[in-house]
Amino acid sequence: MALEAVGSALVGLVELPFRDGYVPSIVVVSLYVSLVAVSLSTLVSVPVAVTMGFLEFPGKSLVKSVINTGMGFPSVVVGLVVLFAVSNQGPLGSFELIFTREAMILSQFVLATPPITAISLAAITGVDDGVREAASALGGTRIDVALVVLKEARYGIATAILAGFGRAISEVGSVLIVGGNITSADGISKTRTLTTAIQLEARQGRYETAMILGAVLVVLVLTVNTIVVRLSDNGVTR
Amino acid sequence: MYRRVDGVSMSIQRRRFVAALGAGATVAAAGCTGDTTDGETNESGSNGDTTAQVGVAGETLTLTTTTSTYDTGLLDAIHTDFEDLYGVSVDAVAQGTGAALESARNGDADVVMVHARSLEDEFMRNGYGINRRDLMFNDFVIVGPEADPAGIEGASSATDALTTIADAQAPFVSRGDNSGTHTKELVLWEEAGTQPGGDWYQETGTGMGEALNIANQQGAYTLSDRGTFISQRAEIDLTILVQGPIEGGPEILANPYGVMAVNPGVHDNANYDLAMAYIGWITSPGAQDAIADYQMNGEQLFFPEAISEEPDFQQYVPEGWQSDSASE
Amino acid sequence: MLRVTDVTHAYDAEPVLTDVSLAVDPGEVLALIGPSGVGKTTLLRILGLSLEPTAGTVAFDETDVWAADTARRRALRRRTGTVFQAASLFDASVARNVEYGLRVRRPWRERIRSGIRGLVGGEDAPASVRDALDVVGLPDAASRSADSLSGGEAQRVSFARALAYDPDLLLLDEPTSDLDPRNTAVVEDAVERARARDIGVVVATHDMNQAERIADRVAVLLGDGVTEVGLTEAVFDDPRDDRTRQFIAGELVY
Repeated sequence: MALEAVGSALVGLVELPFRDGYVPSIVVVSLYVSLVAVSLSTLVSVPVAVTMGFLEFPGKSLVKSVINTGMGFPSVVVGLVVLFAVSNQGPLGSFELIFTREAMILSQFVLATPPITAISLAAITGVDDGVREAASALGGTRIDVALVVLKEARYGIATAILAGFGRAISEVGSVLIVGGNITSADGISKTRTLTTAIQLEARQGRYETAMILGAVLVVLVLTVNTIVVRLSDNGVTR
Repeated sequence: MYRRVDGVSMSIQRRRFVAALGAGATVAAAGCTGDTTDGETNESGSNGDTTAQVGVAGETLTLTTTTSTYDTGLLDAIHTDFEDLYGVSVDAVAQGTGAALESARNGDADVVMVHARSLEDEFMRNGYGINRRDLMFNDFVIVGPEADPAGIEGASSATDALTTIADAQAPFVSRGDNSGTHTKELVLWEEAGTQPGGDWYQETGTGMGEALNIANQQGAYTLSDRGTFISQRAEIDLTILVQGPIEGGPEILANPYGVMAVNPGVHDNANYDLAMAYIGWITSPGAQDAIADYQMNGEQLFFPEAISEEPDFQQYVPEGWQSDSASE
Repeated sequence: MLRVTDVTHAYDAEPVLTDVSLAVDPGEVLALIGPSGVGKTTLLRILGLSLEPTAGTVAFDETDVWAADTARRRALRRRTGTVFQAASLFDASVARNVEYGLRVRRPWRERIRSGIRGLVGGEDAPASVRDALDVVGLPDAASRSADSLSGGEAQRVSFARALAYDPDLLLLDEPTSDLDPRNTAVVEDAVERARARDIGVVVATHDMNQAERIADRVAVLLGDGVTEVGLTEAVFDDPRDDRTRQFIAGELVY
């Protein structure tokens, strides 16, 4: 699988005191959880941002405040809230999500949505009014105008998604609490991500190993960012 | 995901359906190979509910435990045997003593393994934990800088050593996190009759490895489990100043581990069958030997305690419990 | 074709337009002349069926536009096209810009299908797009990107964009005020060709000479509505109002 190849390639660069397959497996879990969370969040955030960019409704400034607050919300607090929700005692207890990747996706969804929404909203409202007016005057329905604005704002929205992904993949507080940092006995990760693996090494005082894993994480984020930027540049005919 | 079908939980229906499928498949397979085994299969390592008799196969046991226990690597070393034996998988969640018990209280764990007897007793008294067994022990040691400013080296009483440190106001690092180590430390202070506090007493709220690092950097004393100290010894300049009972030191520094199943009477979703299979396995001679054989840096870390010719009733009940004392 | 009667519009307390009555017919060019800020853009937006006046009626093909339901109104609005003072092109290719009007007038299923086709293979620009680009003198510009155009070229593409779907009414808001003489000439020629297709054209401009060049009729706005409207020659040679005379002579200072 491509993700494992990336993981193995990264590991191959450095001698790490781990069993075979350990680091690739935590890379896979990190990517899986964050990519799914960010994708779901984008599906929700962008339409919300479009709606907020076009409509006036009662309580709109309250929603804006909530979103902006959400951007700075500590990940560990989100983790506690999700823990409460998915714990056996909580409202979602019957879904048995505690200590699963799905719970981690849920908490990262909550973390990624505010930045993706807020930055997309800024990009959308930043689109020149003249463009909106032209799209409408030339016969576009509200949907047409929204689509035009979305296209005009596409780089800002891509930035928003990358910001959300960055927040998700580098957070440790929530995935540690709801995921449990679990690997199978032979070292293959179930709910352990790069960040929680770093935390594990650090709490045992193995700081150098922790730093190496940190470097792996940075390279990973850099790779994803480069791919997205490259893809969006391809859409430009300059 | 569960859906209600005619008021019956879909999960139960699905299990029966798959079991029937499995039974049918097994019978068919038996017919093909000419094997007659009463429709019972005992394939080790098989996944999926193959028959209704091997009830736990394919399931996952959630075990919560402390970070120091997990970080020794013991569990990863021995769990594979259990997994292969029953065809299950174990999710070992290293949360720290307090969180491990809390998860079990919430019904998010099936079995819990900690080393804080007073907290375990409370857990049992409140009805959350049942079928407790003594599992294994190691010990704590008091470590500090070689220079030993407070002069506690070789003390035969851990409580005296701590009092000496307090009187000298020598820097001391505490876990401060309700972990097994921290719980033991608080017991020691209480036995010593000293209230620790002041600039020299630092509560870090970190794991044991980090706490040792902090103590190392500050030339401070700290209480550590032997296992973590052994694994870090090469990288820090602290040395053992007060030994634990394994090396002849005071009994009070013993660090016994207990394992308990989560009471299905309180949480009906707890996987009680599998929890009991686990407790049965880990207190069996084979697993206890494996525990004794486990080494870190060439040293034995844990001493098995579950197998004993002499009865040990105290492991099943809160310490000091008497049959004629008031039950709640 | 289009008639506005006693239209008044106020954004806050101050009315920008008072009791304006105008008509536009197919195949004629009407110039709205007056100084900047007098309300030409507002009137243009009302004529383009984008802005509902505070008072008065707007009738397109005898239909009261703002009394009709949304769908009918949208259908009427879609028979107009607007070219703004700033080109406001979309960040895409020239072809995508020019065909926008055509695209939004097609049913959704067709749009999705051609969108998928576009992703896979790319389509040739439809005939009307090439034709519109021809009218503005940019026959080979289809595949260029919008941001590679000069200011004059962008404005001409904006014109082609409004022309491509064959509107009945074309509204131009100071279309050449930022252009050099050559581009201005191209745009004015395009206006003439639109008129030849029986399109009704309304041009807002503060350039007297331009009005004289291209308009059949002019409406003069001088601050509180239309002071005068009539055939260009008539208004310019013999304005009825003193202020009009002064304005045309360039004597009025605002």
